[in-house]
Amino acid sequence: MAEHQTAAPRQRLRLDPIACEGVGICAHLAADLVRVDSWGYPILTTDPLGRRTVRQARAAVTACPHRALFIQDDV
Amino acid sequence: MTARLRLVTLDEGCEPALLAHAVSYLGPGHGGLTELEPQSLRAHWQRYGARPERRPRPPGEDLIDALHKIALTGRGGGHFPTAAKWQAIRAATGPRPLVVANGAEGEPLSRKDSALLELRPHLILDGLACTAEAVDAAEAVVWLHESDHLARSAVSRALAERQSHVHEVPIRIALGPDRYLSGESSAVVRGVGGGPALPAFRPVPGPSRSPDGRPTLVHNVETLARIALAARGEDAVSSALVSVSSGDTIVVLELPDTCSVQDAVRRALGGTDPQAVLLGGYGGSWLSWEAAAGATLSEPQLRAGGLSLGAGVIAALLPGQCGIARVAQIARYLAESSARQCGPCLFGLDAIADSLHRLAKGGRRHRHEVTRLTGFLAEVRGRGACGHPDGAVRMVASALETFGADGQAHLDGRCVHEATTGRGRG
Repeated sequence: MAEHQTAAPRQRLRLDPIACEGVGICAHLAADLVRVDSWGYPILTTDPLGRRTVRQARAAVTACPHRALFIQDDV
Repeated sequence: MTARLRLVTLDEGCEPALLAHAVSYLGPGHGGLTELEPQSLRAHWQRYGARPERRPRPPGEDLIDALHKIALTGRGGGHFPTAAKWQAIRAATGPRPLVVANGAEGEPLSRKDSALLELRPHLILDGLACTAEAVDAAEAVVWLHESDHLARSAVSRALAERQSHVHEVPIRIALGPDRYLSGESSAVVRGVGGGPALPAFRPVPGPSRSPDGRPTLVHNVETLARIALAARGEDAVSSALVSVSSGDTIVVLELPDTCSVQDAVRRALGGTDPQAVLLGGYGGSWLSWEAAAGATLSEPQLRAGGLSLGAGVIAALLPGQCGIARVAQIARYLAESSARQCGPCLFGLDAIADSLHRLAKGGRRHRHEVTRLTGFLAEVRGRGACGHPDGAVRMVASALETFGADGQAHLDGRCVHEATTGRGRG
């Protein structure tokens, strides 16, 4: 199947699980991307970010008190 | 477990490349055994010949081709292609790299690395020196558990012997804490660089760097021994070095990789056939004895079927032993061995172990336990910085498939093996 070529690489929201302390602000700010597990730690979607969700992702990255979230370009 | 070595001579079908004999490590209470000696430099040269000198230029080019051709993969459990690791480290920028021989054998059911360190230290050091030359490393390190006195004395003696006879990169010994995860490769990279020996999170693929910025290449000691054989022109990896265990007996054997898993177990342990085997150790997969029928010790073949020997570990569960109780015990060990850095591992492995203990205890009260456990497994999978939680999830998930009927019997209020576990109820 032919891939649609875009100028910008696709991006995903990612987590450093060691830095994460399960504060959970991300799940509120990026509800479409993050849910919490039985112990309060975030489970991130592996889907690439869209125009709407990238705003949620940025808000979550900025708000995380442990700097555990980041947005990564697909290689 | 303080282990002693016992010599077991087996009538091998092939000339063993690494170990001249099968060796067995027995738990306490099995005394009266023969101690084996580390191979001296002279004996090592007689057996294998001297290590070929570094070729003119480019260094290591012949050897990397040889490793590629024999498709050597990492024997610490990950089975990553060795040649690809060399290429990545040679492409790395910055200071000259550091090469590490990882002899911190964390897997409780594995003794093959101890056997090699104690019996073939020079073969490991040859491989380490070859690797250091090939990637232009400034220094090489042998990483050991701090309480592994036998390996430490064998390696120190070997290093002292080499000092006056072999011209090679400086090699030092570094000691890590006696923890399960001290041998995890990202933990080794941090540990040898003076940091805490704990797994690291790596956001991008590529060579690991020590805390002081040096690209660091970590190889399991068996991988290095095999590199030393490849440097001498051995053109195929045709043997497997495995630790086969039952209870507190662990037997280390070198067998042709065409040997079946069932034959390996029979040769190592004798006696009655087990009801199931755990392939790949605590982070591996359970298989019923019948399901293991087609499997051989060949890693590519095992991988094609979704299995792996990991660091060469086969553990037998004998008839009459309760699989669920054994799995619960292993899961508890893995939970306690967590580096406690990632929430899903710290809390999730505990929850999984608790759930398995309820399952082992059994009774109608816990009739929803399998559903609950399955949910925990799905939540934890893929969420650690290192592979530790994934290994635990794999082992428990395979146990649910293999011992499913046992688990149901527990929930119905009876353990089919109650005589041995003492946990059944009437």
